[in-house]
Amino acid sequence: MKFEHPAGLNPIDRLTVVGRPVDRIDGPLKTTGTALYAHERHDVAPNQAYGVVVGAAIARGRVETIDVRAARAAPGVLAVVTTLDVPRLGRGRMNYAYLFGGAEIQHYHQAIAVVVAETFEQARAAAALIRADYTPEQGRFDLAAEAGHAPLHGDGDEPVHRVGDFETAFAAAPVTLDRTYTTPDQSHVMIEPHATVAVWDGDRLTLWTSNQMIAWSKKAVADILGMPAEKVRVVSPYVGGGFGGKLFVRADAVLAALGAKAAGRPVRVALTRPLVINNTTHRPATIQRIRIGAERDGRITAIAHESTSGNLPDGSPETAVAQTKLLYAGAARMIAMRLARLDLPEGNAMRAPGEAPGMMALEIAIDEMAEALGLDPVEFRIRNDTQVDPAHPGRPFSYRDLVGCLRLGAERFGWSARDPKPASVRDGRWLIGLGVAAGFRNNLLTKSSARVELDRHGVVTVSTDMTDIGTGSYTIIAQTAAEMLGVGLEKVVVRLGDSDFPASAGSGGQWGANNATAGVYAACVRLRDAVARKLGLNATDIDFADGEVMSGDRRVPLGEAAGEGLSAEDGIEYGSLAKDYQQSTFAGHFVEVAVDAHTGETRLRRMLAVCSAGRILNPKSARSQVIGAMTMGAGAALMEKLSVDTRRGFFVNHDLAGYEVPVHADIPHQEVIFLDEADPISSPMKAKGVGELGLCGVGAAIANAIYNATGVRVRDYPITLDTYLDRLPRPA
Amino acid sequence: MTRDFIRFVRRGRVVELRDFSARTTLLDWLRLDERSTGTKEACAEGDCGACTVVLARRRDDTMAYEPVNACITLLGQIDGAELITVEDLAAPDGTLHPVQAALVERHGSQCGFCTPGIVMSLFAHYHRVSAPPTRAEIDDVLAGNLCRCTGYRPIVDAAIAACNDRNDRFTADEPARLARLEAIADDEDILVGDDGAFFAAPAREDTLAALLDAHPDATIVAGATDVGLWITKKLMPLSKIVHVGRVVGLDMIEESETTLTFGAAVPLARAAEDLGALDPDIAEILRRFGSVQVRTAGTVGGSIANASPIGDLAPILLALGGTIAMRKGMAVRTLPIEEFFIDYGKQDRAAGEYVRHLTIQKPGETTLVRAFKITKRMDEDISTVMMAMAITLDGDVITSARIAFGGMAGIPKRATQVEAALAGARLADPATWRTAASRLGDDFTPLTDQRGSAAYRLTVAGNLIVKGLAEMAGTPTTRTRVKPRAEVFHAAP
Repeated sequence: MKFEHPAGLNPIDRLTVVGRPVDRIDGPLKTTGTALYAHERHDVAPNQAYGVVVGAAIARGRVETIDVRAARAAPGVLAVVTTLDVPRLGRGRMNYAYLFGGAEIQHYHQAIAVVVAETFEQARAAAALIRADYTPEQGRFDLAAEAGHAPLHGDGDEPVHRVGDFETAFAAAPVTLDRTYTTPDQSHVMIEPHATVAVWDGDRLTLWTSNQMIAWSKKAVADILGMPAEKVRVVSPYVGGGFGGKLFVRADAVLAALGAKAAGRPVRVALTRPLVINNTTHRPATIQRIRIGAERDGRITAIAHESTSGNLPDGSPETAVAQTKLLYAGAARMIAMRLARLDLPEGNAMRAPGEAPGMMALEIAIDEMAEALGLDPVEFRIRNDTQVDPAHPGRPFSYRDLVGCLRLGAERFGWSARDPKPASVRDGRWLIGLGVAAGFRNNLLTKSSARVELDRHGVVTVSTDMTDIGTGSYTIIAQTAAEMLGVGLEKVVVRLGDSDFPASAGSGGQWGANNATAGVYAACVRLRDAVARKLGLNATDIDFADGEVMSGDRRVPLGEAAGEGLSAEDGIEYGSLAKDYQQSTFAGHFVEVAVDAHTGETRLRRMLAVCSAGRILNPKSARSQVIGAMTMGAGAALMEKLSVDTRRGFFVNHDLAGYEVPVHADIPHQEVIFLDEADPISSPMKAKGVGELGLCGVGAAIANAIYNATGVRVRDYPITLDTYLDRLPRPA
Repeated sequence: MTRDFIRFVRRGRVVELRDFSARTTLLDWLRLDERSTGTKEACAEGDCGACTVVLARRRDDTMAYEPVNACITLLGQIDGAELITVEDLAAPDGTLHPVQAALVERHGSQCGFCTPGIVMSLFAHYHRVSAPPTRAEIDDVLAGNLCRCTGYRPIVDAAIAACNDRNDRFTADEPARLARLEAIADDEDILVGDDGAFFAAPAREDTLAALLDAHPDATIVAGATDVGLWITKKLMPLSKIVHVGRVVGLDMIEESETTLTFGAAVPLARAAEDLGALDPDIAEILRRFGSVQVRTAGTVGGSIANASPIGDLAPILLALGGTIAMRKGMAVRTLPIEEFFIDYGKQDRAAGEYVRHLTIQKPGETTLVRAFKITKRMDEDISTVMMAMAITLDGDVITSARIAFGGMAGIPKRATQVEAALAGARLADPATWRTAASRLGDDFTPLTDQRGSAAYRLTVAGNLIVKGLAEMAGTPTTRTRVKPRAEVFHAAP
């Protein structure tokens, strides 16, 4: 199905199942421990052996020799494969670090060997016996040191995005701001580490793994191992969190495959937590300079956003400037990125890549500018709202109610009680402050397919390679099929995460929900046609409800209509609507913090997000997506940072004690409000993404609240204890 | 008599194991041997709680449901307990346990990988409470369970909804379950293995002393919340492990008019009750010590014996003042706690010697106590700086001060220069004590690490002294003597 015109009325609009706060259908499996994750697939093949990955001990250079004699002789060892045994393997088209093969070391903990043994402990013990000799080379690990000579790196045709003459407009502006902000390297810290069970059947390879993007990964495995894609099967029905860290296959998958081939047996490999941090991908650090010029009435006339990040050779930058093209009005703008070459582990997508760190900087700058103008920061944002793409005024937003988010949020949060003068509210030892920020993340459209089958019992089975990484895909896909075919959820079976199923959008970029359900919608439309044909009815005259097909006075139970079974497969593809309209999601983030005057300890008190994000397919799962993202944003603002050893070139705090994420007590009171809306330009579902929106902007709202509490403006994240204690008002 | 096997109750029957490596973790046994994969591994060092299981034990003839991190619990430690994992909670007909049902209904599980641990932490709490818990209480119960998806609120909502009546089939079956535990309880020494490699869990202290005397190279384990990491992270090939958790008498708490004595194997969770009763600040520090899982397994003796520079118990004991008693063979010796800590990684403990008990002085009526723990996140966080102070007054005059810090040196250490400078200061006159804090630079040369810079540590340590004294003096602007957290952080919007 090609989606080329804004959606009219369709069966989803009945909203008898879609739009309801249905419990997640995989909940009972997960709460009883019976959902099987990758490393638990003892059931898929007998005689599985255990593989343990050995990571490089240098960050850059060559591994000259690898002594595996002791490891091979160790008890239970079945096979050892080293990076010197095989030529450099291929790599996925969106990756920059090679996962295995060859003597060159690109980053610390790059895999150099896998040891396969009968038991896990035997494999681990033998892996510890491997000795590698390296010739290290001087690497570049310090973004700040490299930033000064980092070359421009555009994300389109031109290296610098310009609208109007920024320099002239900025120079002419009566009120200006020129500040630099930094965000650190961050880790996804999904709770399930990467893991794979690899099974060869002749020249066919099956990987039971933990992965967000099945179709990408099937292709990547084929590219990496140099085999035809049709010989590869990737299966991932349950994923213990991803956040972008499982968009790509990692060393666990590749080394399980190589180990299984060498051992002649199925092999299971899980990455340890330290390997998750340094062997896989992370969100790169940024240094962002923002300049804003405005008239005294608060109208922005010039805005520039430049961001520098680092990556391996061939790598791409963290696109932290993306939202600045679209979020506010302002005639002149200049947007640019620089990319430094760094020899750290690969920088790549983490939840809301680009906007997450970009909004952390931009929305502090907006707060600073509002203060300089003497304007309330909510009002300043409203005054600079735009309903069109500023670079192409003929291109409107499909739907945009940022103003509504900010207004309603201000009202519900009690914003009017905020004292604009910083450091003026005390509650005992606590300095109290309120902060606001806009939230913004684009809505991305990508094709997605599914197969829908109907059996003689009226049971509908949906199959698609879509994944559920905790997002609720199983549930919203079931809701979609139930709505389209007029059956209860108990009549719907959803099968996900298998490359033998039709290729979907996958889970990433907050595009999964809208696109994957739209694909299921398309397949259901086709199935409805098939049912109509079978019954000799006109598809436009029939209705599906209560488990029956209805046309005029005729009612046929769905199972009866199916006969021996009907099957339909289709997908959604998009026309030019994404080009004709800018599609984005919006939020107003409001935060109250308390800062201890003696110690600088920051504690969140309240958080509120008001979201404008199209139709909400399931308020229960969507709400959890948003507050989960707000929590990740709280971590980003207050504690999350991969500390770089700039001499040795690795992330030092490679465990969950050192890389801190929020605990329960850090998150006291969160609320989410969804504005009641539907966006017919987005898809037949009229939904948009919501999984990343909650993260975008919330960190700045916290930083702004801290400023309001203390009068100390911190521009470097995370805002930890020691970033501002010396500047706090002196406690009495 | 010596038993050459361990035994525990699992799904209604007694499991006996006599052939296992001393360093086998409970989690590996569950996931790899028993193939119960509901219990997850996500960090292998007790940080995330995904591997939380419940050990049900008879305590004073009632059933205690104790949550522990299976990843750093040694298999041998579960001797005598009933092992309950996430697969066991739903009824045979599939009916979910109230905790599970509430998590489903409130959307408290998303990717599901932390969920089994959260289910088990709440299952343990379910059996501890008879009224709906507060939010702050649940924050505490789940401090050791990280979740990256839900944002926590749905989990807390589910916990409040579910934990209220203790009325599940486990409670109904308690008499039979207690009887099963009683049937396998004994006071026999346990030694699984041989002289070259063993897991030992003596029941008699004399056996313990003799065993360590004979095997001074053996590793002493109490809760294994630290030693567990030596195995899972450092990959240390420990072959002889002596567990002190079964030694009769080593888990005693004794109180006199002026002292409190804790056996080395007293779990931190139990010690926290008596220590916390001395002062609300101490109670708050111990509430934030590790997590419920860590406090359930970790012990007073282990926490002191491993001499971590950032452990939160040592500064409290140093401030209160006390002694540590150790035994080697038949010889028992006692020394002031501060003399036990010599240097980073170095203590005054001989090979084969073990910590027997610790005795602390209860603060008298003229002694005021304050303790503060500074962390990035609120709970389950290693202290950047932790301070405990005990100030003894004669009227308004400070006659003696004991101020101890964690995170400021390679060992837990007292600020003796500051203490000396405070003597004679008048509490009501800040000018007499404000400057004393500046002597900290003479006491400490802290490190810069990713938890905080040296400058930050010195500054905040000084601030904490000022803060403590200001509170004691009742300075009007610092009226926040440990407010209940609920009041501070859950104020209605």
